[in-house]
Amino acid sequence: MLLEVTLSGATLGGMYALVALGLTLQYGVARIMNLSYGELLVAAAFAALWFYTGVAVSPLVGLIVVPPLAFALSFGIYRVLLQPLVRRAKTRDALEVDSILATFGLLFVIQGVMLAIFGGAYFSYSFLAVPLQIAGATVAANRLLALVLAVVIGVGLYLGLTRTRIGTAVRAVAVDPVAAELVAIDVRTASALAFALGGALVAASGVLVSMFLTFNANLGVVFTLKALVVVIMGGVGNLLGALIAGLLLGLVENYVAVFVDPGLTLAATYAIFLIVLLVRPQGILGRASR
Amino acid sequence: MLEVAGLSVLYGKHRALDQADLSVGAGEIVVILGANGAGKSSLLRAVAGLLPAAPGAKVMLSGRPLVGLPAHAIVEAGLALVPEGRAIFGDLTVRENLLLGAFARRARGEETRNRARVLALFPRLAERLGQTARTMSGGEQQMVAIGRALMSAPDLLLLDEPSLGLSPLLCSELFRALERIRGDGISVLLVEQNARKSLAVADRGYLIENGRIVGSGRAADLAGDPAVQRAYLGGR
Repeated sequence: MLLEVTLSGATLGGMYALVALGLTLQYGVARIMNLSYGELLVAAAFAALWFYTGVAVSPLVGLIVVPPLAFALSFGIYRVLLQPLVRRAKTRDALEVDSILATFGLLFVIQGVMLAIFGGAYFSYSFLAVPLQIAGATVAANRLLALVLAVVIGVGLYLGLTRTRIGTAVRAVAVDPVAAELVAIDVRTASALAFALGGALVAASGVLVSMFLTFNANLGVVFTLKALVVVIMGGVGNLLGALIAGLLLGLVENYVAVFVDPGLTLAATYAIFLIVLLVRPQGILGRASR
Repeated sequence: MLEVAGLSVLYGKHRALDQADLSVGAGEIVVILGANGAGKSSLLRAVAGLLPAAPGAKVMLSGRPLVGLPAHAIVEAGLALVPEGRAIFGDLTVRENLLLGAFARRARGEETRNRARVLALFPRLAERLGQTARTMSGGEQQMVAIGRALMSAPDLLLLDEPSLGLSPLLCSELFRALERIRGDGISVLLVEQNARKSLAVADRGYLIENGRIVGSGRAADLAGDPAVQRAYLGGR
């Protein structure tokens, strides 16, 4: 029982961690506080649904097709909608406020389109819904697959960002954009790419989520909020912190839902959020503010 | 190598720098002396592309115009700035700072050689490659900043008050390092308040007051000039 709940909580946590990684890229590097972030996750879930039920293409193929599309879409959104804000913003703080307003509007646009197409009904599809036995515990194969893929994507991204020069350059923009310019990094382009990469990540999470969760057109906000909670809990801009906080949140939510009361899930989320903020205001792995 | 003519920097209506002309020859160390707020930093930042130059300015590096280029393109053109406050990547390790220093395409081919040079110049960094930069002492951070700039394989190195906050011993070490950097064929332009030590290593100097260049000459002449001694060397 405990193992089952832990595995299923880890799957959820893996999704949170991936989603938070993407938001870390968008917020930490591109300095865009993207309130429409979760909408892309839902859109990707619908895309995977359509691929599977509409044209009988496996979500695993969707996982290869959808993120690049989300990358391109996010890149376009950044260039068309957000770059003008970047250009006119005098400070990064001003950009943050402007981006919140702009993406708040974008949230309703994307959500509206999805509501118009799919309505408010809940959707799910049955993919690999077979029980697997692991050390006496029963786990749905689709959940386990989603967890494994989330780990692969998360670890791959983490290594890419920490072990390669281009990844280090992306982190450098988050640390200090002026210093980044001084080592010949084109900060504008790097920001656009980081924003697009964040979009690709949240879309990948959307495909994975659709494999085992029931979703509807209104679910985006939930994931945006969870991503924010995880990012702040992990320490803003800290990749490893986001991974740990995401996993932690998923596990706690699932334990509370199963062992205490499903109605207290959200309360548990914000309880550990508050506890972390009280004990370590800078986040689990964040450093004290300058 | 560097030719600057008619360079002005405006902050709103305030003229931080007014029609500055200066040049740095190949293999030269040139120092700009001036008090706080005289416009020294504005000059370097405008040359490096971090501040917009007022219209009419001309900045040429080896015959290539730099005005209007973004800062990252100016690094590619062969100019590296170590700004005031150093602007190293504090959250990253020394190794990562040096790796990023060679992000410029012009620096890739020479990366191994430049790294060896930097580590020979500052052996302390070789021992601290894995350390997070912001946990280092001020002197060590300055080494990281200069080392990172050298990793971009510059033709010209700009330094904004590199001796600020350093002990006299570290300060002497720093100026010796500048001579070795020049020995590797890199020209140096620095702004300083420490007139005595900077004039001792420099070939030429400029004096800047209230945003205007008010004097220039060979470093030895400036060091011996009674007016300069009164303004910049007195009391030290």
